[in-house]
Amino acid sequence: MNSNITLKNVYLDFPLYDVASRSFRNEITELGKKMGFARQETNEKGRKIIQGLKNVNLEINHGEKVAIVGPNGSGKTTLLRLIAGIYHPTSGEIKCTGNINSMLDIGFGLESDATGYENILLSHILRGMRKNEIKNKLKEVAEFTGLHDFLDLPLRIYSEGMKARLAFSSSMCVVPDIFLIDEFFSTGDMEFSKRSRDKLLDLMGSSSILIFASHDFSALKSICNKAIYITNGEIQFFGNIDDAFEIYKNSQLQDG
Amino acid sequence: MNSIKDNIAISDFIFSLKNIYSWTYLAYFDLKLKYRRAFLGPWWIVLGMAISAGLMCLLWSTIFNLDWKSYLTYLFSGFIIWMWISGQVIEAPQIFYTDASRFMKSYSNPPIFYVFRKCYINLLLFLHHIPLIIIVTALVNGRIDYTAFLSLPLGLFIVFINFIFFTSILGMLGARYRDIEPTVKSLMPPMLLLTPILWKPEMLGEYAGLIYWNPFVYFVGIVRDDLIGLPFDIYIWIGALVITFIQMLIFLILYSKKRDRVVFWI
Repeated sequence: MNSNITLKNVYLDFPLYDVASRSFRNEITELGKKMGFARQETNEKGRKIIQGLKNVNLEINHGEKVAIVGPNGSGKTTLLRLIAGIYHPTSGEIKCTGNINSMLDIGFGLESDATGYENILLSHILRGMRKNEIKNKLKEVAEFTGLHDFLDLPLRIYSEGMKARLAFSSSMCVVPDIFLIDEFFSTGDMEFSKRSRDKLLDLMGSSSILIFASHDFSALKSICNKAIYITNGEIQFFGNIDDAFEIYKNSQLQDG
Repeated sequence: MNSIKDNIAISDFIFSLKNIYSWTYLAYFDLKLKYRRAFLGPWWIVLGMAISAGLMCLLWSTIFNLDWKSYLTYLFSGFIIWMWISGQVIEAPQIFYTDASRFMKSYSNPPIFYVFRKCYINLLLFLHHIPLIIIVTALVNGRIDYTAFLSLPLGLFIVFINFIFFTSILGMLGARYRDIEPTVKSLMPPMLLLTPILWKPEMLGEYAGLIYWNPFVYFVGIVRDDLIGLPFDIYIWIGALVITFIQMLIFLILYSKKRDRVVFWI
Protein backbone atom coordinates (compact mmCIF):
# COMPACT_ATOMS: atom_id res chain seq x y z
CA MET A 1 0.00 0.00 0.00
CA ASN A 2 1.29 3.43 -0.91
CA SER A 3 1.11 5.95 1.88
CA ASN A 4 -0.07 9.44 1.14
CA ILE A 5 -0.97 12.67 2.91
CA THR A 6 -3.27 15.20 1.30
CA LEU A 7 -4.40 18.50 2.79
CA LYS A 8 -6.92 20.66 0.97
CA ASN A 9 -7.64 24.27 1.98
CA VAL A 10 -6.95 23.48 5.60
CA TYR A 11 -7.49 26.19 8.18
CA LEU A 12 -6.92 25.69 11.86
CA ASP A 13 -7.92 28.29 14.45
CA PHE A 14 -6.98 28.23 18.09
CA PRO A 15 -9.63 29.75 20.33
CA LEU A 16 -8.49 32.20 23.01
CA TYR A 17 -10.33 32.04 26.30
CA ASP A 18 -8.49 33.88 29.03
CA VAL A 19 -10.76 36.81 29.71
CA ALA A 20 -8.57 38.40 32.36
CA SER A 21 -5.50 38.75 30.20
CA ARG A 22 -7.44 39.85 27.18
CA SER A 23 -6.83 43.58 27.34
CA PHE A 24 -3.11 43.17 27.79
CA ARG A 25 -3.06 40.69 24.99
CA ASN A 26 -4.99 43.06 22.78
CA GLU A 27 -2.33 45.65 23.12
CA ILE A 28 0.39 43.26 22.15
CA THR A 29 -1.68 42.09 19.22
CA GLU A 30 -2.29 45.61 18.02
CA LEU A 31 1.43 46.19 18.17
CA GLY A 32 1.95 42.90 16.32
CA LYS A 33 -0.53 43.87 13.64
CA LYS A 34 1.34 47.07 12.98
CA MET A 35 4.53 45.09 12.63
CA GLY A 36 2.75 42.61 10.41
CA PHE A 37 3.19 39.30 12.21
CA ALA A 38 0.14 38.90 14.42
CA ARG A 39 -2.33 36.17 13.60
CA GLN A 40 -4.97 37.05 16.14
CA GLU A 41 -8.34 37.60 14.57
CA THR A 42 -11.97 37.68 15.55
CA ASN A 43 -14.08 34.98 13.93
CA GLU A 44 -17.65 35.36 12.69
CA LYS A 45 -19.03 34.53 16.15
CA GLY A 46 -17.05 37.40 17.67
CA ARG A 47 -14.58 35.11 19.44
CA LYS A 48 -10.90 35.81 19.61
CA ILE A 49 -8.88 33.27 17.73
CA ILE A 50 -5.33 32.68 16.64
CA GLN A 51 -4.94 31.42 13.12
CA GLY A 52 -2.67 28.44 13.58
CA LEU A 53 -2.73 27.37 9.94
CA LYS A 54 -4.03 29.28 6.94
CA ASN A 55 -5.10 27.75 3.67
CA VAL A 56 -2.70 24.83 3.69
CA ASN A 57 -2.62 22.75 0.53
CA LEU A 58 -0.20 19.90 0.53
CA GLU A 59 0.36 16.55 -1.05
CA ILE A 60 3.07 14.27 0.25
CA ASN A 61 3.56 10.95 -1.44
CA HIS A 62 5.10 7.59 -0.77
CA GLY A 63 8.86 7.76 -0.28
CA GLU A 64 9.08 11.49 0.31
CA LYS A 65 11.12 12.69 3.23
CA VAL A 66 10.05 16.17 4.03
CA ALA A 67 11.75 18.75 6.24
CA ILE A 68 9.71 21.52 7.84
CA VAL A 69 11.55 24.75 8.49
CA GLY A 70 10.42 28.12 9.73
CA PRO A 71 10.84 30.48 12.66
CA ASN A 72 9.50 29.71 16.17
CA GLY A 73 5.74 29.87 16.33
CA SER A 74 5.32 29.59 12.59
CA GLY A 75 3.10 26.50 12.75
CA LYS A 76 5.54 23.60 12.39
CA THR A 77 4.33 21.67 15.42
CA THR A 78 0.71 22.55 14.66
CA LEU A 79 1.05 21.09 11.19
CA LEU A 80 2.61 17.92 12.58
CA ARG A 81 -0.10 17.56 15.22
CA LEU A 82 -2.73 18.02 12.56
CA ILE A 83 -1.30 15.24 10.44
CA ALA A 84 -0.93 13.06 13.54
CA GLY A 85 -4.66 13.38 14.21
CA ILE A 86 -4.23 15.26 17.49
CA TYR A 87 -5.63 18.50 16.10
CA HIS A 88 -8.55 18.64 13.72
CA PRO A 89 -8.94 21.32 11.05
CA THR A 90 -11.44 24.12 11.58
CA SER A 91 -12.23 23.88 7.89
CA GLY A 92 -10.79 22.04 4.94
CA GLU A 93 -9.96 18.43 4.34
CA ILE A 94 -7.20 16.15 5.48
CA LYS A 95 -6.62 12.62 4.26
CA CYS A 96 -3.88 10.29 5.42
CA THR A 97 -3.33 6.81 4.03
CA GLY A 98 -1.08 4.58 6.11
CA ASN A 99 -0.51 4.11 9.80
CA ILE A 100 1.12 7.00 11.60
CA ASN A 101 3.72 7.07 14.32
CA SER A 102 4.85 10.32 15.79
CA MET A 103 7.45 11.75 18.11
CA LEU A 104 6.18 15.21 18.76
CA ASP A 105 6.94 15.78 22.37
CA ILE A 106 9.92 14.66 24.39
CA GLY A 107 7.59 14.37 27.34
CA PHE A 108 5.24 12.15 25.27
CA GLY A 109 3.17 11.60 28.36
CA LEU A 110 6.07 10.23 30.33
CA GLU A 111 5.42 9.10 33.88
CA SER A 112 8.09 10.57 36.13
CA ASP A 113 7.75 7.96 38.85
CA ALA A 114 7.99 5.03 36.47
CA THR A 115 11.33 3.59 35.38
CA GLY A 116 12.79 3.96 31.90
CA TYR A 117 11.71 0.43 30.99
CA GLU A 118 8.18 1.03 32.20
CA ASN A 119 7.96 4.25 30.23
CA ILE A 120 8.95 2.47 27.06
CA LEU A 121 6.19 -0.02 27.81
CA LEU A 122 3.60 2.66 28.60
CA SER A 123 4.28 4.63 25.44
CA HIS A 124 3.53 1.52 23.41
CA ILE A 125 0.43 0.66 25.37
CA LEU A 126 -0.77 4.18 24.59
CA ARG A 127 -0.13 3.45 20.93
CA GLY A 128 -2.44 0.47 21.20
CA MET A 129 0.07 -2.37 21.49
CA ARG A 130 0.01 -5.26 23.94
CA LYS A 131 2.60 -6.04 26.54
CA ASN A 132 3.75 -9.28 24.95
CA GLU A 133 4.15 -7.60 21.57
CA ILE A 134 6.55 -5.13 23.10
CA LYS A 135 8.54 -7.59 25.17
CA ASN A 136 10.52 -8.85 22.18
CA LYS A 137 11.48 -5.35 21.18
CA LEU A 138 12.27 -4.06 24.63
CA LYS A 139 15.85 -5.31 24.55
CA GLU A 140 16.51 -3.71 21.20
CA VAL A 141 15.11 -0.37 22.39
CA ALA A 142 17.02 -0.56 25.66
CA GLU A 143 20.27 -1.14 23.80
CA PHE A 144 19.61 1.70 21.43
CA THR A 145 19.02 4.20 24.23
CA GLY A 146 22.49 3.49 25.60
CA LEU A 147 21.12 4.36 29.02
CA HIS A 148 22.02 0.95 30.51
CA ASP A 149 21.38 0.82 34.26
CA PHE A 150 19.49 4.11 34.22
CA LEU A 151 16.57 2.29 32.62
CA ASP A 152 15.83 0.69 35.98
CA LEU A 153 15.61 4.06 37.69
CA PRO A 154 12.61 6.37 37.83
CA LEU A 155 12.43 8.99 35.13
CA ARG A 156 12.42 11.93 37.52
CA ILE A 157 16.20 11.67 37.90
CA TYR A 158 16.79 11.77 34.11
CA SER A 159 18.20 14.82 32.38
CA GLU A 160 16.39 16.32 29.39
CA GLY A 161 18.90 14.71 27.07
CA MET A 162 18.31 11.30 28.58
CA LYS A 163 14.55 11.72 28.27
CA ALA A 164 14.99 12.63 24.62
CA ARG A 165 17.03 9.48 24.08
CA LEU A 166 14.34 7.39 25.70
CA ALA A 167 11.55 9.03 23.75
CA PHE A 168 13.29 8.72 20.42
CA SER A 169 14.42 5.14 20.96
CA SER A 170 11.06 3.87 22.02
CA SER A 171 9.26 5.49 19.11
CA MET A 172 11.74 3.80 16.78
CA CYS A 173 10.38 0.46 17.81
CA VAL A 174 7.28 0.73 15.66
CA VAL A 175 7.96 1.09 11.96
CA PRO A 176 5.11 3.15 10.54
CA ASP A 177 4.06 4.13 7.03
CA ILE A 178 4.15 7.75 8.10
CA PHE A 179 6.60 8.98 10.68
CA LEU A 180 6.38 12.48 12.19
CA ILE A 181 9.17 14.01 14.24
CA ASP A 182 9.37 17.34 15.97
CA GLU A 183 12.89 18.56 16.68
CA PHE A 184 14.75 16.62 19.30
CA PHE A 185 18.29 16.12 18.04
CA SER A 186 19.29 19.31 19.80
CA THR A 187 18.97 17.67 23.21
CA GLY A 188 20.92 14.50 22.52
CA ASP A 189 24.71 14.39 22.55
CA MET A 190 26.75 14.11 19.33
CA GLU A 191 27.17 10.38 19.48
CA PHE A 192 23.44 9.77 19.97
CA SER A 193 22.46 12.31 17.32
CA LYS A 194 24.57 10.49 14.78
CA ARG A 195 23.25 7.10 15.81
CA SER A 196 19.64 8.23 15.64
CA ARG A 197 20.21 9.84 12.26
CA ASP A 198 21.61 6.56 10.93
CA LYS A 199 18.75 4.63 12.47
CA LEU A 200 16.21 6.97 10.91
CA LEU A 201 17.80 6.62 7.49
CA ASP A 202 17.85 2.90 7.91
CA LEU A 203 14.18 2.72 8.92
CA MET A 204 12.99 5.24 6.39
CA GLY A 205 15.08 3.84 3.56
CA SER A 206 12.32 1.42 2.80
CA SER A 207 10.29 4.28 1.31
CA SER A 208 7.67 5.37 3.78
CA ILE A 209 6.85 9.02 4.44
CA LEU A 210 8.88 11.02 6.93
CA ILE A 211 8.10 14.56 8.08
CA PHE A 212 10.70 16.16 10.24
CA ALA A 213 10.56 19.64 11.78
CA SER A 214 13.84 21.07 13.00
CA HIS A 215 16.23 24.00 13.02
CA ASP A 216 19.20 21.72 12.48
CA PHE A 217 19.88 22.15 8.76
CA SER A 218 22.62 19.56 8.55
CA ALA A 219 20.44 16.91 10.20
CA LEU A 220 17.57 17.76 7.87
CA LYS A 221 19.78 17.67 4.80
CA SER A 222 21.20 14.28 5.62
CA ILE A 223 17.72 12.76 5.96
CA CYS A 224 15.22 14.68 3.84
CA ASN A 225 14.81 15.20 0.12
CA LYS A 226 12.12 17.88 0.15
CA ALA A 227 11.24 20.77 2.42
CA ILE A 228 8.34 22.93 3.53
CA TYR A 229 9.05 26.51 4.52
CA ILE A 230 6.30 27.85 6.74
CA THR A 231 5.75 31.27 8.35
CA ASN A 232 2.71 32.71 10.12
CA GLY A 233 0.79 29.50 9.58
CA GLU A 234 1.09 29.69 5.82
CA ILE A 235 3.16 27.43 3.63
CA GLN A 236 5.46 29.71 1.66
CA PHE A 237 7.30 27.05 -0.24
CA PHE A 238 7.20 23.31 -0.77
CA GLY A 239 9.77 21.62 -2.97
CA ASN A 240 13.47 21.15 -3.33
CA ILE A 241 15.23 21.22 0.04
CA ASP A 242 18.08 23.51 -1.02
CA ASP A 243 15.70 26.06 -2.47
CA ALA A 244 13.63 26.03 0.71
CA PHE A 245 16.68 26.63 2.88
CA GLU A 246 17.78 29.43 0.58
CA ILE A 247 14.42 31.20 0.82
CA TYR A 248 14.27 30.72 4.57
CA LYS A 249 17.77 32.06 5.10
CA ASN A 250 17.16 35.07 2.89
CA SER A 251 13.96 35.96 4.73
CA GLN A 252 15.74 35.67 8.08
CA LEU A 253 18.50 37.97 6.83
CA GLN A 254 15.96 40.50 5.67
CA ASP A 255 14.21 40.49 9.03
CA GLY A 256 17.50 40.72 10.88
CA MET B 1 -26.24 1.65 9.56
CA ASN B 2 -23.36 3.51 8.07
CA SER B 3 -24.57 6.82 9.40
CA ILE B 4 -24.63 5.51 12.97
CA LYS B 5 -21.06 4.28 12.71
CA ASP B 6 -20.01 7.60 11.23
CA ASN B 7 -21.06 9.40 14.38
CA ILE B 8 -17.83 10.38 16.13
CA ALA B 9 -19.23 9.73 19.61
CA ILE B 10 -20.19 6.19 18.70
CA SER B 11 -17.02 5.43 16.78
CA ASP B 12 -14.87 6.74 19.65
CA PHE B 13 -16.88 4.64 22.08
CA ILE B 14 -16.32 1.56 19.94
CA PHE B 15 -12.64 2.44 19.60
CA SER B 16 -12.34 2.48 23.39
CA LEU B 17 -14.15 -0.84 23.73
CA LYS B 18 -11.80 -2.38 21.19
CA ASN B 19 -8.82 -0.99 23.07
CA ILE B 20 -9.95 -2.29 26.43
CA TYR B 21 -6.51 -3.82 26.92
CA SER B 22 -4.81 -0.40 26.76
CA TRP B 23 -6.94 1.50 29.26
CA THR B 24 -7.25 -1.35 31.72
CA TYR B 25 -3.48 -1.80 31.63
CA LEU B 26 -2.87 1.94 32.06
CA ALA B 27 -5.30 2.04 34.99
CA TYR B 28 -3.68 -0.98 36.61
CA PHE B 29 -0.27 0.60 36.11
CA ASP B 30 -1.44 3.88 37.65
CA LEU B 31 -2.47 2.09 40.82
CA LYS B 32 0.73 0.09 40.88
CA LEU B 33 2.77 3.27 40.61
CA LYS B 34 0.76 5.04 43.26
CA TYR B 35 1.44 2.40 45.87
CA ARG B 36 4.91 1.37 44.80
CA ARG B 37 6.64 2.79 47.82
CA ALA B 38 3.91 2.14 50.36
CA PHE B 39 4.07 -0.98 52.49
CA LEU B 40 0.34 -1.65 52.66
CA GLY B 41 -0.32 -0.24 49.20
CA PRO B 42 -3.98 0.22 48.33
CA TRP B 43 -4.95 -1.36 51.63
CA TRP B 44 -4.12 1.93 53.29
CA ILE B 45 -7.28 3.34 51.78
CA VAL B 46 -9.28 0.35 52.93
CA LEU B 47 -7.91 0.76 56.42
CA GLY B 48 -8.63 4.48 56.42
CA MET B 49 -12.13 3.89 55.12
CA ALA B 50 -12.78 1.21 57.76
CA ILE B 51 -11.68 3.54 60.53
CA SER B 52 -13.70 6.56 59.42
CA ALA B 53 -16.83 4.56 58.58
CA GLY B 54 -16.56 2.65 61.86
CA LEU B 55 -16.23 5.82 63.91
CA MET B 56 -19.15 7.43 62.11
CA CYS B 57 -21.34 4.43 62.86
CA LEU B 58 -20.47 4.59 66.52
CA LEU B 59 -21.11 8.31 66.69
CA TRP B 60 -24.33 8.50 64.68
CA SER B 61 -25.99 5.41 66.12
CA THR B 62 -25.47 6.96 69.57
CA ILE B 63 -26.71 10.40 68.51
CA PHE B 64 -29.76 9.03 66.69
CA ASN B 65 -30.26 6.40 69.36
CA LEU B 66 -30.53 3.62 66.77
CA ASP B 67 -30.19 -0.13 66.70
CA TRP B 68 -26.47 -0.14 65.91
CA LYS B 69 -26.51 -3.51 64.16
CA SER B 70 -28.67 -2.61 61.20
CA TYR B 71 -27.31 0.94 61.17
CA LEU B 72 -23.70 -0.25 61.01
CA THR B 73 -24.15 -2.19 57.78
CA TYR B 74 -26.32 0.56 56.32
CA LEU B 75 -23.94 3.42 56.96
CA PHE B 76 -20.80 1.42 56.32
CA SER B 77 -21.86 0.28 52.86
CA GLY B 78 -23.51 3.59 51.95
CA PHE B 79 -20.50 5.62 52.96
CA ILE B 80 -18.06 3.47 51.00
CA ILE B 81 -20.22 3.60 47.88
CA TRP B 82 -20.62 7.34 48.34
CA MET B 83 -16.85 7.85 48.46
CA TRP B 84 -16.57 6.09 45.11
CA ILE B 85 -19.36 8.07 43.49
CA SER B 86 -18.41 11.48 44.86
CA GLY B 87 -14.73 10.87 44.09
CA GLN B 88 -15.58 10.23 40.46
CA VAL B 89 -17.91 13.23 40.25
CA ILE B 90 -15.35 15.60 41.77
CA GLU B 91 -12.63 14.40 39.42
CA ALA B 92 -14.81 14.54 36.33
CA PRO B 93 -14.53 18.26 35.41
CA GLN B 94 -10.74 18.26 35.46
CA ILE B 95 -10.11 14.95 33.75
CA PHE B 96 -9.07 16.42 30.41
CA TYR B 97 -7.06 19.38 31.54
CA THR B 98 -5.08 17.75 34.32
CA ASP B 99 -5.08 14.00 34.00
CA ALA B 100 -5.17 13.42 30.30
CA SER B 101 -3.77 16.61 28.78
CA ARG B 102 -0.20 15.41 28.43
CA PHE B 103 -1.40 12.29 26.62
CA MET B 104 -3.93 14.08 24.48
CA LYS B 105 -1.25 16.35 23.04
CA SER B 106 1.05 13.48 22.14
CA TYR B 107 -1.21 10.61 21.09
CA SER B 108 -4.21 10.51 18.84
CA ASN B 109 -6.43 8.45 21.17
CA PRO B 110 -9.90 10.01 21.48
CA PRO B 111 -10.82 11.90 24.69
CA ILE B 112 -13.22 9.20 25.83
CA PHE B 113 -10.36 6.69 25.91
CA TYR B 114 -8.96 8.58 28.92
CA VAL B 115 -12.41 8.70 30.50
CA PHE B 116 -12.53 4.92 30.41
CA ARG B 117 -9.11 4.77 32.03
CA LYS B 118 -10.09 7.14 34.85
CA CYS B 119 -13.43 5.44 35.56
CA TYR B 120 -11.71 2.08 35.63
CA ILE B 121 -9.10 3.29 38.15
CA ASN B 122 -11.89 4.42 40.47
CA LEU B 123 -13.81 1.18 39.96
CA LEU B 124 -10.71 -0.84 40.89
CA LEU B 125 -10.26 1.24 44.03
CA PHE B 126 -13.89 0.69 44.97
CA LEU B 127 -13.60 -3.06 44.40
CA HIS B 128 -10.94 -3.10 47.11
CA HIS B 129 -13.59 -2.06 49.56
CA ILE B 130 -16.29 -4.56 48.68
CA PRO B 131 -14.78 -7.31 50.88
CA LEU B 132 -14.97 -4.82 53.74
CA ILE B 133 -18.72 -4.42 53.25
CA ILE B 134 -19.17 -8.18 53.00
CA ILE B 135 -17.15 -8.86 56.13
CA VAL B 136 -18.95 -6.24 58.18
CA THR B 137 -22.36 -7.45 56.98
CA ALA B 138 -21.45 -11.07 57.70
CA LEU B 139 -20.18 -10.21 61.18
CA VAL B 140 -23.28 -8.27 62.06
CA ASN B 141 -25.75 -10.81 60.60
CA GLY B 142 -23.75 -13.85 61.66
CA ARG B 143 -23.93 -15.34 58.13
CA ILE B 144 -23.24 -14.56 54.49
CA ASP B 145 -26.23 -14.28 52.22
CA TYR B 146 -24.97 -15.26 48.78
CA THR B 147 -28.06 -14.10 46.92
CA ALA B 148 -27.05 -10.60 48.00
CA PHE B 149 -24.36 -10.60 45.31
CA LEU B 150 -26.58 -11.51 42.39
CA SER B 151 -27.41 -7.96 41.40
CA LEU B 152 -24.00 -6.54 42.28
CA PRO B 153 -22.35 -6.97 38.84
CA LEU B 154 -25.35 -5.39 37.13
CA GLY B 155 -25.40 -2.52 39.61
CA LEU B 156 -21.69 -1.88 39.17
CA PHE B 157 -22.04 -2.03 35.40
CA ILE B 158 -24.84 0.56 35.35
CA VAL B 159 -22.89 2.90 37.62
CA PHE B 160 -19.75 2.44 35.49
CA ILE B 161 -21.49 3.20 32.21
CA ASN B 162 -23.11 6.27 33.79
CA PHE B 163 -19.70 7.43 34.92
CA ILE B 164 -18.41 7.13 31.36
CA PHE B 165 -21.19 9.40 30.05
CA PHE B 166 -21.13 11.73 33.02
CA THR B 167 -17.35 12.15 33.11
CA SER B 168 -17.22 12.80 29.36
CA ILE B 169 -19.92 15.45 29.59
CA LEU B 170 -18.61 17.16 32.70
CA GLY B 171 -15.01 16.75 31.55
CA MET B 172 -15.74 18.64 28.34
CA LEU B 173 -17.71 21.37 30.09
CA GLY B 174 -15.09 21.59 32.83
CA ALA B 175 -12.27 21.97 30.31
CA ARG B 176 -14.10 24.80 28.58
CA TYR B 177 -15.49 26.54 31.69
CA ARG B 178 -13.06 26.40 34.55
CA ASP B 179 -15.65 27.42 37.15
CA ILE B 180 -17.31 24.04 36.98
CA GLU B 181 -14.65 22.19 38.90
CA PRO B 182 -14.81 24.35 42.08
CA THR B 183 -18.62 24.42 41.84
CA VAL B 184 -18.87 20.65 41.76
CA LYS B 185 -16.31 20.34 44.54
CA SER B 186 -18.35 22.57 46.82
CA LEU B 187 -21.66 20.87 45.98
CA MET B 188 -20.63 17.33 46.83
CA PRO B 189 -20.32 17.60 50.65
CA PRO B 190 -23.90 18.94 51.02
CA MET B 191 -25.05 16.19 48.64
CA LEU B 192 -23.75 13.64 51.14
CA LEU B 193 -26.14 15.08 53.70
CA LEU B 194 -29.05 15.08 51.24
CA THR B 195 -28.54 11.45 50.19
CA PRO B 196 -29.83 8.68 52.47
CA ILE B 197 -26.48 7.43 53.70
CA LEU B 198 -26.15 8.77 57.23
CA TRP B 199 -29.92 8.50 57.70
CA LYS B 200 -32.66 6.19 56.44
CA PRO B 201 -35.52 7.42 54.22
CA GLU B 202 -38.17 6.31 56.73
CA MET B 203 -36.71 8.75 59.27
CA LEU B 204 -38.10 11.53 57.05
CA GLY B 205 -41.64 10.34 57.78
CA GLU B 206 -44.12 11.86 55.35
CA TYR B 207 -41.30 13.50 53.38
CA ALA B 208 -39.64 10.18 52.54
CA GLY B 209 -40.80 10.43 48.90
CA LEU B 210 -38.65 13.51 48.38
CA ILE B 211 -35.50 11.42 48.17
CA TYR B 212 -36.48 10.33 44.65
CA TRP B 213 -35.63 13.83 43.42
CA ASN B 214 -32.00 13.19 44.22
CA PRO B 215 -30.27 11.38 41.33
CA PHE B 216 -27.58 9.99 43.62
CA VAL B 217 -30.18 7.94 45.46
CA TYR B 218 -30.54 5.62 42.47
CA PHE B 219 -26.87 4.88 42.04
CA VAL B 220 -26.16 4.34 45.72
CA GLY B 221 -29.32 2.21 45.86
CA ILE B 222 -28.62 -0.19 43.00
CA VAL B 223 -25.25 -1.10 44.48
CA ARG B 224 -26.09 -1.02 48.17
CA ASP B 225 -29.60 -2.27 48.75
CA ASP B 226 -29.23 -5.91 47.75
CA LEU B 227 -25.80 -6.14 49.29
CA ILE B 228 -27.08 -5.43 52.79
CA GLY B 229 -30.48 -7.04 52.33
CA LEU B 230 -32.73 -3.98 52.07
CA PRO B 231 -36.15 -4.64 50.44
CA PHE B 232 -36.11 -4.56 46.64
CA ASP B 233 -37.27 -1.22 45.25
CA ILE B 234 -38.15 -1.32 41.55
CA TYR B 235 -38.24 2.48 41.30
CA ILE B 236 -34.57 2.65 42.16
CA TRP B 237 -33.68 0.46 39.18
CA ILE B 238 -36.08 2.17 36.79
CA GLY B 239 -34.77 5.57 37.89
CA ALA B 240 -31.17 4.50 37.32
CA LEU B 241 -32.00 3.29 33.81
CA VAL B 242 -33.87 6.49 32.94
CA ILE B 243 -30.93 8.61 34.09
CA THR B 244 -28.56 6.41 32.09
CA PHE B 245 -30.64 7.00 28.99
CA ILE B 246 -30.78 10.78 29.49
CA GLN B 247 -27.05 10.98 30.11
CA MET B 248 -26.41 8.91 27.00
CA LEU B 249 -28.41 11.35 24.88
CA ILE B 250 -26.59 14.39 26.27
CA PHE B 251 -23.30 12.61 25.77
CA LEU B 252 -24.07 11.73 22.15
CA ILE B 253 -25.05 15.29 21.27
CA LEU B 254 -22.30 17.13 23.13
CA TYR B 255 -19.51 14.71 22.29
CA SER B 256 -20.23 14.53 18.58
CA LYS B 257 -20.38 18.31 18.37
CA LYS B 258 -17.42 19.33 20.48
CA ARG B 259 -15.07 16.37 20.61
CA ASP B 260 -12.56 17.93 18.20
CA ARG B 261 -12.39 21.13 20.23
CA VAL B 262 -11.43 19.54 23.55
CA VAL B 263 -7.74 19.48 22.71
CA PHE B 264 -7.78 23.27 22.31
CA TRP B 265 -9.36 23.77 25.71
CA ILE B 266 -6.72 21.94 27.72
